[in-house]
Amino acid sequence: MDAARSEALAARAQLLEQGGWQFRRLEAFRFVAPPPAETWLGDETVLDAPAVPNGGWTWEPSDAAAKPDIRWLDAADTSQRSALLERLPQPGEDAVAPFAWAHRALCKGGLRIRVPKAADPDAAPVMLRLRQSSSEAVEAPLLVVELEPGAHCVLVEEHGQAAGAGPEEAVRNLQVHLLLAEGARLQHWRQVQPQAGQRVAHHLNVHLDAGAFYAQAMLATGSAYHLQRAHVVFDGEGAEARLGSVLLSDARQLDRQVRMIHAAPRSTSTARALALARGKALVAADLYAHVRPGAEDADIHQHLAGIPTAGSPRLVMRPQLEIEHDAVQAAHGTTWGRLPDEAIFFARQRGLDEATALSLILHGMAAAEVVRALADERLCETVGALQALDEALNRYLSPAQAQERRDG
Amino acid sequence: MNQAKTSGEPLLSVRKLQVDIAGKRVLRSVDFDVDAGELVVLMGANGSGKSTLALALAGHPRYEVSGTAHLGGQDLLELPVEARARAGLFLSFQAPPDIPGVKNNLFIRTALNAQRASRGEPEIDAYDFLGQAKAGAKRLGLPDAMLARPVNEGFSGGERKRNELLQLALFKPRVALLDEIDSGLDVDGVRALVDLITEMRAQGTAFVVVSHYLHMIEMLEPDRVLRLQDGCISESGDLELARSITAQGFAAAPARQAAPVGA
Repeated sequence: MDAARSEALAARAQLLEQGGWQFRRLEAFRFVAPPPAETWLGDETVLDAPAVPNGGWTWEPSDAAAKPDIRWLDAADTSQRSALLERLPQPGEDAVAPFAWAHRALCKGGLRIRVPKAADPDAAPVMLRLRQSSSEAVEAPLLVVELEPGAHCVLVEEHGQAAGAGPEEAVRNLQVHLLLAEGARLQHWRQVQPQAGQRVAHHLNVHLDAGAFYAQAMLATGSAYHLQRAHVVFDGEGAEARLGSVLLSDARQLDRQVRMIHAAPRSTSTARALALARGKALVAADLYAHVRPGAEDADIHQHLAGIPTAGSPRLVMRPQLEIEHDAVQAAHGTTWGRLPDEAIFFARQRGLDEATALSLILHGMAAAEVVRALADERLCETVGALQALDEALNRYLSPAQAQERRDG
Repeated sequence: MNQAKTSGEPLLSVRKLQVDIAGKRVLRSVDFDVDAGELVVLMGANGSGKSTLALALAGHPRYEVSGTAHLGGQDLLELPVEARARAGLFLSFQAPPDIPGVKNNLFIRTALNAQRASRGEPEIDAYDFLGQAKAGAKRLGLPDAMLARPVNEGFSGGERKRNELLQLALFKPRVALLDEIDSGLDVDGVRALVDLITEMRAQGTAFVVVSHYLHMIEMLEPDRVLRLQDGCISESGDLELARSITAQGFAAAPARQAAPVGA
């Protein structure tokens, strides 16, 4: 038996036979509980099925001066597996370790990208456009992006598929590792819009060396189960991360978890989420920041806004701070249930009907969240973020019309 | 859209207007008329209900309003907020709110086209609109860049008021309620404001201007000055009333006998 299969079977055994799949007692998963382990593992025949070409990843070549190295690596091949998993931690024993084990049990390969620094300091950043969609019922895709010291990259990452293009109840357990070396900059636009019946868990693990900068804006929509978890570790002094997300859920589940771990001095984190929910949706957003001893002058900002727009959805908004150093600045806030009444009245006073006023204002709030995160409005347009937001919000605000369109 | 008066009825006619907010009576019985092209100044102490009156006429959703208010013979109080705007009522807010993420030019053009559509007029396209908006902004001393920024976000107090004036100029309402439009405006802004109002009055727009600023009131040459006190119009007069209030203060200048409506 090869090492990959051996590891996969061991992971399956741990999860299925040794009670390794435990979430109910974990605070972070109290509101949106993950489906059972079997969901994420499939049956054993999945292991013997050939890998989907490139794991379902497609990408567009960058025309930037600095050429990234993009490789699909087969986890069943010993040497490729070693290269694929280089610098990646073994699944540990933390809260989400079961997802990591489930991923190891199923992962057949991954996309590994290395972005160099451009020789010309004024050169445009490397633009990477990635899309992951395949026809497998259960998958564990892997993406690793390394930025060399001083590299600058814009990463566009899209997950989803057109109706009818794959199993409507597909399961995706994605692991993403972003490794930013000293002074590297990564601006990351993600959109994850699964079909209603799909179960999705995305885990982003981000490591920032000194002076590195990571900005992420994300659009995520609800599904049968949808977890978006980001774990950002500030390993180097002066690193900064800024994560903003727009969460839309219509009678489905959506769980956003952000963990900012300040392990170095003068690190700055900003985590924000705007959640719009309707019908009987359940949306949880849990922003947590931990300042470890010695991480002096850490600067933390958290903001959550949850707005039920129709029906009786459940919105759980949780900003959390754990601070183990004296010299720290932290600000956090949550607003729940408040539509901007004054702005709606103002817009109506200018002649817009209530529905149009509400739509315009919600589109604006969502766009502001994304622009704030990426700090570059032109970039937001270039990567298609604002258009994607518009389309998603139109579907969200007019579900009946969207259904009619889907039904033809 | 301002239109000349076509009948003997006042353009805006308010009778026995009563407003309760969260169970508290703020306005007891307000009566006044404004005709096309007229300008009425509304004065009153802080908390007397001037802003409440303007917001009530505009249709603030949390106000309980009774009495009557007709615009061109149309019962305003029966209409939802946007229908009042489309009927030609414009309110310049004392504190215009931010609308994050919504560009000013998009917002104004969308609203303007909603009003035009309600009148069966064709939409104004983005290019034509931008030309008009830039010309209006220049006249009012509002930098072009403000058109491309989110509505009022990061605007100074004066810029917010200039932005309100820009909307006033572009919407061309039949009746404009200006709630402390001068606050935050510098001398150039006040001059631009007076020029705009003078021009729009000549075209038939009626104005109700809430202000404490005598110099501007004098520049506006109002047809009447009304004093709001104890929930009703307690006094009506001309510029001398504004001068008297400014000289003596509200507390030291008790209202004389209420004048007839529209006098």
